[in-house]
Amino acid sequence: MGLKRRRALVPFVLLGPGLAWLVVFYAIPALTQLYVSLQEGNFEVGYQFTWNFSTYTEALSDYQEQIFRSLGYAAVATILCFVIAFPLAYFIAFKAGRFRNLMLLLVILPFFTSYLIRTVAWQTILADNGFVAERLRDVGVLGEEGRLLATRTAVIAGITYNFLPFMVLPLYVSLEKIDRRLVEAATDLYASRRVAFTRVTLPLAMPGIIAGSLLTFIPAVGDFVNAQLLGTSRQYMIGNVIQSKFLVITDYPSAAALSFILMAIVLTCVLVYTRVLGRQNLEEAVI
Amino acid sequence: MRNESPESALQRLLEQDRMSRRRFMGRAGGAAFGMTALGALLSACGPAEGQNESSSGGKTTEAVSHPKTALDTVVFSNWPLYIDKDVIKDFKREFNATLKYTEDINDNNEFFGKVRQPLEQGDSIGRDLVALTDWMAARWIRLGYTEPIDEKNVPNKANLVDNLVNMSFDKGRKHSLPWQSGMTGIGYNKKVVGEVTSFKQLLDPKYKGKVTFLSEARDTLGLVMLAQMGKNPEDATIDDILAATEELDKINRSGQIRKFTGNEYSTDLAKGNVVMAVAWSGDMVQLKADNPDLEFVIPEEGGMLWSDNMMIPQKAPSPYGAEVAMNWFYDPQVAAKIAAYVNYVTPVKGVQEILAADKDKDTAALAENTLIFPDDATRQRLHATAELSVEEEQQMNEAFAGVTGA
Repeated sequence: MGLKRRRALVPFVLLGPGLAWLVVFYAIPALTQLYVSLQEGNFEVGYQFTWNFSTYTEALSDYQEQIFRSLGYAAVATILCFVIAFPLAYFIAFKAGRFRNLMLLLVILPFFTSYLIRTVAWQTILADNGFVAERLRDVGVLGEEGRLLATRTAVIAGITYNFLPFMVLPLYVSLEKIDRRLVEAATDLYASRRVAFTRVTLPLAMPGIIAGSLLTFIPAVGDFVNAQLLGTSRQYMIGNVIQSKFLVITDYPSAAALSFILMAIVLTCVLVYTRVLGRQNLEEAVI
Repeated sequence: MRNESPESALQRLLEQDRMSRRRFMGRAGGAAFGMTALGALLSACGPAEGQNESSSGGKTTEAVSHPKTALDTVVFSNWPLYIDKDVIKDFKREFNATLKYTEDINDNNEFFGKVRQPLEQGDSIGRDLVALTDWMAARWIRLGYTEPIDEKNVPNKANLVDNLVNMSFDKGRKHSLPWQSGMTGIGYNKKVVGEVTSFKQLLDPKYKGKVTFLSEARDTLGLVMLAQMGKNPEDATIDDILAATEELDKINRSGQIRKFTGNEYSTDLAKGNVVMAVAWSGDMVQLKADNPDLEFVIPEEGGMLWSDNMMIPQKAPSPYGAEVAMNWFYDPQVAAKIAAYVNYVTPVKGVQEILAADKDKDTAALAENTLIFPDDATRQRLHATAELSVEEEQQMNEAFAGVTGA
């Protein structure tokens, strides 16, 4: 084999492991689920493949409430994450000095504990007779019979808390990359600090904002842990429905169909979002 | 015990080194998803062969004979915290054989999903004994997934309490033997709500959002049928069940029900987030040991009685070993040891007397506990569930899931 031929093969060899991973752990399961979603029957009489597309329309009409709720909760949580994460990332990138690594470590530190344990900890924090709820009752924010746990607030707070690092880290990376001299140049050219921020810093941070919001929004839409542990059945999200369809009701076709519907919705959201904010930014975000 | 949520699973994980279940209950809880969920998902992928059998009886019992063989290992799958681990060691001492006891049943449906495929293909699932709740046991027997019990090897079967001998799904207990039974009723905090006698008190608007129901459809709907419709769940039709679901939906929409739970209601009760809960008796005995304000009652309208049943799965590696183990569990002395630990209703005769004679004061007191040994008046108010066809069961599950939100 000539050197040239071998050179030409290098990219494929490098792509190999990643590609294999995608095929085995993504493409094959996705196709299997697609196959399952078009079946009919139940576990006792067995499932037959029947091109049964009605599962999709039924699932969509039966569970639109949970679908919209998931999108709403995820959107609110993503915005909250951004509002909390941006100042934090900004501070770490520009003001933290020698504490920068320490602060980054603190952001990642919660990952050292299991996601579930952290969420369950919120049950204690928000408990009806807990410190937080009592104080909020004292100051009258929460009514006498009001509660925090098992409410919408608790679920959204849980999602926000759990996904915050996914917002902070990409934001930090893109902020840290900014050449500070550009901001200085802007102020030299008589831009006020605010204008320098909105015209220079913010646009340059855009890849981080996009990456962060996608990394937060996408898993948040499919999350079911927060709704299950911190909410009630009136806060259940589409992830809860899929989980119970797979494991409790054992209605595999409609569980698979719902997974695909969710995937399609998320994909659409991402496309619209990146169309609005520009593809250039998405590419940079990925890099 | 029967429908475990992530919370209770974590609770289990967190406290795996506990010595006694009683001490363990009622602390802060948590969750970890059973790795088993993955298994269930995976097994869900493949298409299944059609297989359906008529609803009653299962395999006709031909004469079974499991000749004596040398005992080596007996594999038993059961629910978490459902045995005194000393009993496993005793087994080794007694028979010089290993009782390989795994706590890998967290949920009837989930476990079924995990072993469904080999069962369907007529293969062994590598276990000699499994313990599943009545309705799931009925399904296994109906589908012929069980190996009949050779009674010659289980003389202690005579110790089975009379009321559990003739079940509609297994007349004369040819395929199954109860492991433990339990009651479904109301657990409550008497310091907050006073004495509870009726299901109606669960619906008191004063406790809006302070009440939980069980996510096990048969338990919750059973109580609703008894109290709100005056219907005996034993002879309920699917229409009654669907009507009960609608009734439940109304209650849920009013915001009265905080949550539908597995046994993590115990955490909420202990923490005071919840003041009344549709609950299981064994859990409440243990919760009460930690917090005397917590009480359990079978409401005057009625409660549910269920059992988890030991069965030998088809092509079990050692059916004889399974029978030896069952026989041993039905020795009143052994059963007493288990009962003293798990605090559910024991299906074995003679346990009460053994406990009463125990030197340990706490253990002796268990003999007087009506939650472990329900008196006749209580038993009168307890009901079993109706047997449903596959389609009906699915209808029920879907309707119930519509209410519980998932």
